[in-house]
Amino acid sequence: MRVRTSALFAVTVLMVACGGQATTGESTGSTIVLGAPLGLTGSLTKESTLTQQGYNLWQDWINQRGGVVVNGVKHKVTIKYYDDTSNANQSAVLMQKLITEDHANFLLGPYGSAATATDAAIAEQNQIPMVEANGAAQAIFNQGYKYTFGVLSPANKYLEGVIDMAATLTPKPSTVAMLSADDNFSLEVANAINDYAPTKSMKIVLFKKYKNGATNLTAEVQAAKALNPDILLNSGHLTEAIAINKAAKEQKLNAKIFAYSVGPSTPDFITALSKDANYVYDGSQWTPQVKYAPAFYLSVADYVAAYKTKYPGIGDPDYHVAESTAACLALQRAIENASSLDPKKVRDALAALDVTVFFGRLKFDQRGINTYKPMVVEQIQNGAHHTVYPSDVADAQPMYPTPAWDQR
Amino acid sequence: MIATPDANARWRRMFLILGGILVAYALLAPLTSLEAAQSANVPLLADRLWFRIATYIAMFIVLASAWNIIGGIAGYAAFGNVAFFGIGAYTTGMLIAKAKWPFLAALPLAPVVAAAFAAVVGLPLLRLRGHYFAVASLGVGVAVGELVQNIDYAGQPVFGGATGLFLPIYSIENRGLFFFYLMVLAAALAVAVTWLVLRSRFGYGLIAIRENEEAAAVIGVNTTAYKVAAFTLAAALTGLTGGIFSQWNVFINQDNTFPIEYNVQMILMALLGGTGTVFGPAAGAVLLQLLIQFLGGTLPISFEIPFVSENARPIVAQVILGVLLVVVVLFVPRGVIEFFGGRARFSLAYLRRSLRETSL
Repeated sequence: MRVRTSALFAVTVLMVACGGQATTGESTGSTIVLGAPLGLTGSLTKESTLTQQGYNLWQDWINQRGGVVVNGVKHKVTIKYYDDTSNANQSAVLMQKLITEDHANFLLGPYGSAATATDAAIAEQNQIPMVEANGAAQAIFNQGYKYTFGVLSPANKYLEGVIDMAATLTPKPSTVAMLSADDNFSLEVANAINDYAPTKSMKIVLFKKYKNGATNLTAEVQAAKALNPDILLNSGHLTEAIAINKAAKEQKLNAKIFAYSVGPSTPDFITALSKDANYVYDGSQWTPQVKYAPAFYLSVADYVAAYKTKYPGIGDPDYHVAESTAACLALQRAIENASSLDPKKVRDALAALDVTVFFGRLKFDQRGINTYKPMVVEQIQNGAHHTVYPSDVADAQPMYPTPAWDQR
Repeated sequence: MIATPDANARWRRMFLILGGILVAYALLAPLTSLEAAQSANVPLLADRLWFRIATYIAMFIVLASAWNIIGGIAGYAAFGNVAFFGIGAYTTGMLIAKAKWPFLAALPLAPVVAAAFAAVVGLPLLRLRGHYFAVASLGVGVAVGELVQNIDYAGQPVFGGATGLFLPIYSIENRGLFFFYLMVLAAALAVAVTWLVLRSRFGYGLIAIRENEEAAAVIGVNTTAYKVAAFTLAAALTGLTGGIFSQWNVFINQDNTFPIEYNVQMILMALLGGTGTVFGPAAGAVLLQLLIQFLGGTLPISFEIPFVSENARPIVAQVILGVLLVVVVLFVPRGVIEFFGGRARFSLAYLRRSLRETSL
């Protein structure tokens, strides 16, 4: 018994050590291996599954066509997933395993800012490009990393689209009241508006922070009401957006635009407020209604259809799915442009990438984040979501100005 | 299971030789990844994945050994030691990221700050006993993590808040190797400190406290000072690894520097290996961390659990881990070191004697 146990121990240790033996050198096989640790169990299961759906949609499509074309040769693609149990430390170990053991040519991002931040450091240290779609915190991109690229618009862009849209409307709104939850993401969104609105000659008449998760925001709305702003902005979450909209109705705060960063895009918002949800705007990474002219891959309509065929019964793809597919597309086009599977060359091709797909424009700034794709603005019109800005991708006109509460 | 003294001695020798070979291998194999070794056509015995896992193992050797000082030797079941890990990580992290200190200058402050914190909270906390102390220390562990994430000054998070803290990647040749050996040094330090404690008047005092605190006080042990000193020493070692971790991992936040599961794991490791011993917690750390990594699917050896789909594996792995630990606690209550090593405690004198016997 003792001998056997100790032998097992010894064998385990030796196997770990010997397993480290890795063949070095170029992957000459015809299959391109992409690696992605995802939280397939644990607290991030829902979003991670959506991410995986987005990756798989592209994998199916590219392999049906024979693979990624590099110098006239078609390379099939395998995406290797590991479950990081929604744990960022585990994600980093698995990322290293994908690189060392599975010889992943390139990496796709995990879900969430924390795991993305940890994995970005691994990608950087191994000099393997990672294209990520689910970490919007700008801090990740302010580290001088050269191998991490994010296809989504950073947090500071979330409500800038609303200001851009407002600047095109008549009569042009001129005053903004900004309310914000005090968590980091919300503050990043709100602070950006504080800087951005004046550049469109709009004045911030109120900038008020409240406790993240607050359910009673009467005092904040009252402070806004006293200043009678043209635009009421909120940077927060679903519950706070609902609370603010209710308080605005009670106190008859009649702004021309009500726009909330997160919340209105979910069905729960309309369910909770029914008719009062109408006219409310929000910023979104992507909507199934946008109209971009894709240079390759599917059109938006075909994408939505492909999603519904592969994953029937769960409705339209949400933006998590779309941005994850977009990450694959950025990588594919970069490999094609580089005409090589060399990680450094593909990195350079990613840095130089400029292409429009169903998700929007894919182009990275010096830090590696996509500041070129605008956030789209959605408006709830007669109980349904419509994309209203930018006008070239919109499926409806903004209903402006929002009528006063007693005239609805 | 009854073995003759002779068989016992033979077994101990085998165990020592095997252990020595494994340790030597673990320490030397990474060197084969150096460019000089590669250009001399030395076969690659360890790669970056190996370093990462081995560094975690070394890290847990420190955590478990440090816990052993307060939990095993002094008998105070501290459930909040992860607070010291986090404090160490954030001390080094803040100095590097915000104050732009070089890593090697910032690292020594990690154990200092963690120890200072332990001394301050230890004074009131160590007046509690048994369950009360365990729960209170757990509370401290959780509270510190929450504080670090939520302290604001002038509207800005002081410690990086929910976003976390980014450190510049430490620019050094063979970074993976560097952190591996740094962590191994910390592990060696932790084991050496345990050895010193067990051989000192201080250690005997702690054991006296563990066995009977009133009696210890009666025979002249300054129990408060001894307990706080043990707690502080554990905190310093734990904080040191936290400091190394912050620069190694580059990114720190509440989740990765104050993980509640580390509290549990470090205690289980000490139990598994043998509390109150010198090498027990280290052996437990190696075994349990290997098992965790194995079940988590990070080791190069893969396995299939019958009737379990690939997706359910991590959950089943957790269950297996839990069952295994129950079995260990039931059947190997005094730890694997005791189990393998016979009745004698694993002492250096014993090590020396064995080495003399085995070497020609």
